[in-house]
Amino acid sequence: MTLPVSIIMIEDDEGHARLIERNIRRSGVNNEIISFKNGTDAMKHLFGADGSGLVQKGNALLILLDLNLPDMTGIDILKQIKENKYLKASPVVVLTTTDDSQEIKRCYELGCNVYITKPVNYENFANAIRQLGLFFSVIQVPPAAS
Amino acid sequence: MTAEGQRRRAFWQILLFSAGLLVLTVISAGSVYLVNKARDDSKWVVHTIEVENQLNTLLLEVRRAESGARGFLLTQGPDFLSDHEKAIAAIVPALDKLTRQIGDNPAQRDSIEKLSAAIETRLDQFSREMNFVRQGEPGNAVALIREAAAGNTTTTIGNLANAMIREEERLFRLRSANADRSQTLAASMTGIGSGLVVLLAGISIWLVRRSARARDEAETRLRDANLNLEATVEARTADLREANDEIQRFAYIVSHDLRSPLVNIMGFTSELEELGGDIFRRIGGLTHAATGGPPPAAGEIALEGPDQQLSTDFAEALGFIKSSIAKMDRLISAILNLTREGRREFQPERIDTRELIEAIVSTLAHQAAEAQAEIHIEPLPDLVSDRLALEQIFSNLIDNGIKYLKNGVPGAIRIRGRTKLGYAIFEISDNGRGIDARDHQRIFDLFRRAGTQDKPGQGIGLAHVRALVRRLGGTMSVSSELNTGSTFTITLPINWNASNRNADK
Repeated sequence: MTLPVSIIMIEDDEGHARLIERNIRRSGVNNEIISFKNGTDAMKHLFGADGSGLVQKGNALLILLDLNLPDMTGIDILKQIKENKYLKASPVVVLTTTDDSQEIKRCYELGCNVYITKPVNYENFANAIRQLGLFFSVIQVPPAAS
Repeated sequence: MTAEGQRRRAFWQILLFSAGLLVLTVISAGSVYLVNKARDDSKWVVHTIEVENQLNTLLLEVRRAESGARGFLLTQGPDFLSDHEKAIAAIVPALDKLTRQIGDNPAQRDSIEKLSAAIETRLDQFSREMNFVRQGEPGNAVALIREAAAGNTTTTIGNLANAMIREEERLFRLRSANADRSQTLAASMTGIGSGLVVLLAGISIWLVRRSARARDEAETRLRDANLNLEATVEARTADLREANDEIQRFAYIVSHDLRSPLVNIMGFTSELEELGGDIFRRIGGLTHAATGGPPPAAGEIALEGPDQQLSTDFAEALGFIKSSIAKMDRLISAILNLTREGRREFQPERIDTRELIEAIVSTLAHQAAEAQAEIHIEPLPDLVSDRLALEQIFSNLIDNGIKYLKNGVPGAIRIRGRTKLGYAIFEISDNGRGIDARDHQRIFDLFRRAGTQDKPGQGIGLAHVRALVRRLGGTMSVSSELNTGSTFTITLPINWNASNRNADK
């Protein structure tokens, strides 16, 4: 890894965000985590003020995305990320309570890399996140350049 | 149009009809009577004429006899004699006939008696005259004729006969008038009756036309009402469908949104549990350090007295919270699954029911063996329906049968089938613990269960089964008694087509 990978977490529920962060840390991942509580702020950060995504050029990003956001749907964000030439190479992990098979299928069709259902069972939840940490450590995150 | 109005109209029609019939009958009877009377009257008129005629004939014969007698007296020619004798011969029968004809009239009877007497006297005179003439004593005969003329016998006869003729003429006038009156009466009766019948017929036609018009109007209204009804039904169905969809969406969203905080509660409860463990471990370590004992092994919590109690209470509280959360999660999952099931499109296909149930039974073979239950499958009708839905229905019911057997009694679960009027009827019966009659409705409600709660379950199975059966256009019922077993009866259409329910979705 030439550049430190930033983890962008878009999650409206603070509790969930905290639990996810804790478990990521427990799995030994120490990368910077930038949290957003709504879609608008996250979009501004990802695509910049001009909405072109140029601001992220050359940054290595990993995006954790919740589908149920107060101001927009995670699906929209996913779609725009995967359509942007600077961001489309960044891995997107969808992490949500929805376990509807249609929804999951749609996310994969739009280019999401991993889809994780938040289980109520904490053990499973923690396991999922820890495995995600493992995934972070082995995945080669390309810089959003080119 | 009110029913009252209809009844009244029918009543009037019947009344009119009866009146018409009555009038016709009266006219017929009256006509027959009057025609008979007219005929009688005519007969009497004819009779009168005949009597008159007969009287004239009689008079004529008497005159003929007289003139014959005079001719003979003058000429003594045999022609006059035979003429006279013929006339004499005709007089008596003519008189007899007249007497017969006149027999009905007492007034005339007196006259005829007098006339008969006069004629007899005259006949006697004739025969004496003739005798004198034949014996060649014309002088005596002439004297006799004079005597007869003086006695006025012939005049008497003429007068009597004329009186009788006058009487008959009077009768003729009377009887003619009678006959005329009868005929006029018959004619007017027929006329008035016909008029009445025509009037009644007119009223009837008017009534019939009015009711025909009313019927046409009613038909039009009925057609309109039907159209309206269809539109209304369609609108209501659309409303219901919308409401149903709304409920589905609502259940889906609510169960989703409930899950989100549940993840937090569960997550932080687990975090708390871990924190608690850390805290108590620390307390244990500190206590040990203070007493100077050997340090406890890593990961072990060594607490004593009140500290031990605190730790236990803490763990217990967290345990309750976690089990409640787990339960809530299961319920939410169940609602989610039900709504998802409610949204699934059914695909009708031909299903070999026996094969389907045998497959279910083989997946449940392990549980059946554990419960010492035998499953008998009797001949079953095949049907066209949704495979997945049928699998869920039967596996739920058979699973229930195995689950709720009586402890220590070998189970016998029986699946029977028959067809009736386009429906397949399936019965799944067991010899298990049975269901109390007051719970028969309750067991079909979501999250409700009955009897001893010694088996795991959410109270979803039967609610789900009933929802599926209903969506497949069928019905379901239970008959059961406590401790003797239960029989669940499912009635499903043999040919379910997607259009009748799937179109709703």
